[in-house]
Amino acid sequence: MAEILLVEPDRRLASTYAKALQAAGHHVTAVPSAQTAIMAADAVLPDLVILELQLVEHSGIEFLYEFRSYPDWQAVPIIIQSQVPPAEFSDNWQLLQDELGVQAYLYKPRTSLRRLLAQVQEFTPVKT
Amino acid sequence: MARDARESPILSQQLLLSVAEELKLPLLQIAREAERGALNGSADLGVIRTTADSALRLLDNYVLGVRLALEPAQLAPESVSVASILYDTGQQLDTLAKSYGVSLELNVAGRFGPILANRQGLQAALVSLGAALIEALPAQDGSQLKLQLATHRSRYGIVAGLYADTRQLTNETLRRGRALQRHSRQPLISMTHTSGAGIFVADTILQAMHLNLRTSRHHRLYGLGTVLQPSPQIQLV
Repeated sequence: MAEILLVEPDRRLASTYAKALQAAGHHVTAVPSAQTAIMAADAVLPDLVILELQLVEHSGIEFLYEFRSYPDWQAVPIIIQSQVPPAEFSDNWQLLQDELGVQAYLYKPRTSLRRLLAQVQEFTPVKT
Repeated sequence: MARDARESPILSQQLLLSVAEELKLPLLQIAREAERGALNGSADLGVIRTTADSALRLLDNYVLGVRLALEPAQLAPESVSVASILYDTGQQLDTLAKSYGVSLELNVAGRFGPILANRQGLQAALVSLGAALIEALPAQDGSQLKLQLATHRSRYGIVAGLYADTRQLTNETLRRGRALQRHSRQPLISMTHTSGAGIFVADTILQAMHLNLRTSRHHRLYGLGTVLQPSPQIQLV
């Protein structure tokens, strides 16, 4: 079981993802924005973050820079799951991977729950 | 006679693109909720139905806007009650609002005579606008999940619109959003995480009716609405 921070601006979609992750045995904190995500991360100490880039006011990229600026959160795995097609980020993938520590980029319209759950499984630490 | 397509903003490719982007969201919600049902044996059919209705409503309003722009004869203004239009708008948005946890309120305090407008067009614009704001509110920081359908008098006429306590609804946001519509996948970034298609559809339906979508204040709330003119015939009676 992992502590997952889900940054998803659409309330209905967040509910569906959260229920699926909970059914797979994870504990999920869902928040809609970058600002609430930082506050939630401080409170729940996530094992993994699932992040949408298209947020209101501050983008997911701004969240990433802020999140990674705290020493405690530099090793937390991050999966981007976004409406933004990966082709729009192909030039910046190296930056996302190397500097911001993004483990995977999933294009939301083409990512099944099964695939998301498999990625979460891959990047969450095994707790004993 | 049909208008020249180049004159009609409703026919613009950027609006079509915006609607296409927006439609991905409800389709994605349906697909994932159905998949969750298959995985966990417990899909929420109510969510699927409400979500499909959202997609159909957006398409319907877009198609209506295109028809109105192509056939202005359909835009015959009539004397209508702004209170009844707001009431019907609230009825149409009620289920969507509940599914997003947004409380919808109707505020038509005061007496307002009939206004002159095309009822179908005006209602479609307000419903489109309301649906977009309902989906946007929960994604904003710190705004209360309350949306008010309200009307008031101004020196320009009778204003009908939708209001919330969010400060993001400014003239600058709307102006920049219209300018960015062609270039950005999120032109109203301070307001919504989506393409904002519902707002632009409302904008263009109102333009087809020679009305304007504008920012407005209602008591302490911020909102979007349009200025309507009282019906002169009824006033004479």
